[in-house]
Amino acid sequence: MRVFRPKEPPKMQPPMTPMIDCTFNLLIFFILTPSFSMTEGYLTTNLPTTSGPVAGKKQIDVQRIKIELLDEGPKGERVSIVLNDNQNLGDNFDLLRDALKKLRDQGLPANHPVLLSPTMACRHKYVVKGFDQAVYAGFSEIHFAVPYQ
Amino acid sequence: MRIKKPGGTGVVSVNMTPMIDMVFNLLIFFILTSQFAKLEIEEVVLPPSLTAVSKDYTQFRNVVINIVSPDSPHIVVFGQTLTLDELTEVLKERKADVKSTETMNVILRADAEIPYEEVARAMLATGRAQIQGWWIQTEIVDPDKLAKEGQK
Repeated sequence: MRVFRPKEPPKMQPPMTPMIDCTFNLLIFFILTPSFSMTEGYLTTNLPTTSGPVAGKKQIDVQRIKIELLDEGPKGERVSIVLNDNQNLGDNFDLLRDALKKLRDQGLPANHPVLLSPTMACRHKYVVKGFDQAVYAGFSEIHFAVPYQ
Repeated sequence: MRIKKPGGTGVVSVNMTPMIDMVFNLLIFFILTSQFAKLEIEEVVLPPSLTAVSKDYTQFRNVVINIVSPDSPHIVVFGQTLTLDELTEVLKERKADVKSTETMNVILRADAEIPYEEVARAMLATGRAQIQGWWIQTEIVDPDKLAKEGQK
């Protein structure tokens, strides 16, 4: 008697090519998208903590460079720059940079403290611009005036 | 003389399984990390800067403080709007989790048109939490491009 063997079912293989194409496209997208954040950077400084001076620690009194940024206009849309309480530089940040460079050329070290003192209504972009000019002129110790409440 | 017949047909097949495994792993990693990054940051117009530098912020324990909407400014941390006292508490909690060997910074993402008052409030909260590292996030501007725009 002739015995029929059951035939093996044909192997089903889903088409892999479109899936791999799609996966690679997604992979490239997710690899590339974080690189857009490379256009963003940081200006770094240290803030003073609100604890008082350590008892017995010697206080070093250094004459700081003071940059005042005064808001102008009803909503602070413009700015006026005053350097060391006596040099009014208008709204020209190039003049501020030149004046700071001059101070560096006169022998002030890079770690000489610079105090940025904006008024409360002064826009953040002007504060960053002031910070920028001080870094550009070669100063590295830039601090902010923060009102204590 | 015995002549050897060629054994195979010459078709070489690439083993796709480990490659697909690896690609899927990479895909899952990039999808998840991009989601985590989005949780911390809000949409703001960053101020331009010439001297800002790119930094690998993943080396540090950071808290991102967003200050959004110049018309009615408010502080947003991890998607939640916070008052000054709440911000101080959040920063203190985060600071407590940090080991003594680690450095912690606050990254400020403030809109360019935000008044300094809001930034000063965030600084006060940071100072109260005894955190000193203060990073201002900006858009990096190419000086040549800026000069060209000024000439137009």
